[in-house]
Amino acid sequence: MAVATSATRLAEDAKPDAAFLVVDDIVKRFETPDGAITAVDHVSFTVRPGEFLAVIGPSGCGKSTLFNIIGGLIDGYEGQIGVAGERVAGPHASIGMVFQEESTFPWRTVIENVAFPLEIAGVKKANRIERARHFIALVGLSGFENRYPTELSGGMRQRVAIARTLASEPKILLMDEPFASLDEQTRLLLGDKVLQIQQELKQTTLLITHNITEAVQLSDRILVMTYRPGRVKRIVEINLPRPRSSDIVSSEAFGRYVAQIWGDLREEASRGMHDDEARALHAGDRP
Amino acid sequence: MAEAGRLKQTDVPKAWVDPVTQVRIAIILTILVGWELLAQSGLLYRDVVPSLGKISLAIVKLLSDPDYYWNLGVTAGEIGVGLAIGGLSGLLAGIVLGANRLLRRAFEPYLYYLGPTPKIIFFPIMIMWFGVGPGSKIAMGVISCFFPVALSAAAGMQQIDKVLIRVGKSFRANAWQMAMKIYLPAMRHPIINGVRLGLGVALIGTLLAETKLSNRGIGFLIIQAYSLFDMPRMYAMLIVLFVLAIGANAVVGRLGGLHNIQRN
Amino acid sequence: MTSAAALGRRPFVPALLGFGSLLIFILVVEILIRVGVINRYIVPMPSQIAMSFGRVISEEDIFGRFRLTFFEALSAGALIAVVGISIGILLYRVNLLRLACETWIAALASAPSVLMYPLFLVIFGRSALTIIMMGFVAGLPPVILKTLEGLSGTRRVLINVGRSFKLGPTQMFVKILFPAALPTIFVGLRLGLIFTLINVVGVEFLINFGGLGQLINDLAERYDLPGTYAAICFVILVSVFFFIITERVERWLRPVD
Repeated sequence: MAVATSATRLAEDAKPDAAFLVVDDIVKRFETPDGAITAVDHVSFTVRPGEFLAVIGPSGCGKSTLFNIIGGLIDGYEGQIGVAGERVAGPHASIGMVFQEESTFPWRTVIENVAFPLEIAGVKKANRIERARHFIALVGLSGFENRYPTELSGGMRQRVAIARTLASEPKILLMDEPFASLDEQTRLLLGDKVLQIQQELKQTTLLITHNITEAVQLSDRILVMTYRPGRVKRIVEINLPRPRSSDIVSSEAFGRYVAQIWGDLREEASRGMHDDEARALHAGDRP
Repeated sequence: MAEAGRLKQTDVPKAWVDPVTQVRIAIILTILVGWELLAQSGLLYRDVVPSLGKISLAIVKLLSDPDYYWNLGVTAGEIGVGLAIGGLSGLLAGIVLGANRLLRRAFEPYLYYLGPTPKIIFFPIMIMWFGVGPGSKIAMGVISCFFPVALSAAAGMQQIDKVLIRVGKSFRANAWQMAMKIYLPAMRHPIINGVRLGLGVALIGTLLAETKLSNRGIGFLIIQAYSLFDMPRMYAMLIVLFVLAIGANAVVGRLGGLHNIQRN
Repeated sequence: MTSAAALGRRPFVPALLGFGSLLIFILVVEILIRVGVINRYIVPMPSQIAMSFGRVISEEDIFGRFRLTFFEALSAGALIAVVGISIGILLYRVNLLRLACETWIAALASAPSVLMYPLFLVIFGRSALTIIMMGFVAGLPPVILKTLEGLSGTRRVLINVGRSFKLGPTQMFVKILFPAALPTIFVGLRLGLIFTLINVVGVEFLINFGGLGQLINDLAERYDLPGTYAAICFVILVSVFFFIITERVERWLRPVD
């Protein structure tokens, strides 16, 4: 269970055919009333085809910014993003995004939601419906095609959002804390579902999360980020056997990985907390 | 269970009106009785408060008069066209303002502060520009409903859940697809409410214009009744008008609400 | 961030754009009229309108008229406050009445009550009373509804605090319910006052009696086009001013929100 250092990992990934998603030296700064802050500071890493990579870090480490940059929703950054050799500038057909918030369209039924990307791409109705059905079945929501999102639970709605993104058959699936608003048990079970789907589709996946258990449960490698300015602190190789299920959380090896990552994260998380407290303390000071 | 057509025992009488309805009936009866007393008392000048009989008769006469329906059609047409023009332009203006922060901060204050001004004062100008015919009445309807619809649409754009816009962008929808498949459906509630409000004020603006200067339409009929001191007829027209206005409002509201029940 | 969006964030740029567009528009209209594209007998030149301001102010006793309109609006405002809040309280206390009447009052709010003005003319004559009563009818529903909303929307926990101190029903009302409802009641008053003012000026115009509304009617019937436009501008300014003042007062009374 040796932990590969980030340096060696990047060197290995430098081989062009090994990498599928290349994040190359990204720097992103924001102007705020308090001055310029660096959200992402020279972050580089790669994701291999079929791999499940989790990016984990404390709140404020820039992981959501990274998510939006890779997805092409933010510009004005330094560095570049490459997918299967092509440079990414703006939302890319090969990249599918699943957002953290409730993102299903409340005015469309489940099947209309899932068929949305196909509709945008101009696929004919009969084909759209059929393909949408397939992905609805994949996330385990068969029978709910004609329901509206308000009739479903939060976990089911997130599954609809995932099915919708999968329906666009992206080469890379980007997920930004998709299970953040769900309770722990639902999360574990949905994690199972995601694992199952990913294994079946051999879907290259990048998951942003703050949840250590989730990261270790689902991924092949974990990228730990520092608190602001966000840098790569460490890349951890997760050598738990595949295929996996949520039972893995009770294994010893699992526990060791979690402890190890928490060791890295604790430092960053407490820096974040002190920062918040300092800011709250001085909130009234400004004229 | 009683068999069809044959009741073996007397049914237990259940209260056939609940308390709320009882109170409502009581209130209505009190008003009607008070009215009739006032009418018969001779305290007020004759016909200022006509007897219920006279009013009922006037309503019947009104509703069986083809001339009335012709005028109703004229007014409804004016309101309809005014609402269409004012509503569509208001929608467009609101969407543009809602979409662009700079434009919104530059021009929304105009809409916001001009909204609560009495539009009827613009009527002389409308007459100058559009003549004494239906044109000026339609114009009154247009300027009345433009503001509430534009403001509702602009507010609606602001309130769209931002994540839904990001979803559209992440799937690379073009501008038309974004507008049709995301912006408009997401705004359906504010738009329906804006249209309801717009209908209300377009109705008022058009009718007031008709009372001021017209030779046709419901407003004209009302003022005509006033000048002839035909009070029962005036009351009849006002009552029918109120029923129609409240009904139209309820219908539009129900249309929006039905949408609500089905789709969130 | 696109440059337009960035520009939108600077404080004075939007105001400049808005104001500037207005000035440019007025300028374009002036030129088009002078050149003859727009008929000067239908649309008077903005310069003419500006010049007639002075004339209208001095010759038409605009401040006297303003006082009259203000007096009418204020009277109607006082009426809607007293009657509206009282009815609101009554409906709150007697739940059965509330259940029966609330939807009716909401329906009334959407009804074209100003169209009853010929009726009021008959009943009250061509006088300030007609105008005040029309303003009253227009502004009443929002006050009642918002009073009801404010009283019934009191947070449960505040009521429980009162109960924990064993307050009697009157004390509960005076010390907890009413103060807690006050912000919402003021929203209702403001809405009501706006409707009242709109109707006051509107009816003044329609029945050709009163202050500012009547002035517009008068000038229009005299075919004094620049004067009519000037008077309309004046009324708009008064209305906007009134709106802003009530907004400020409301915000001052609700600092927490």
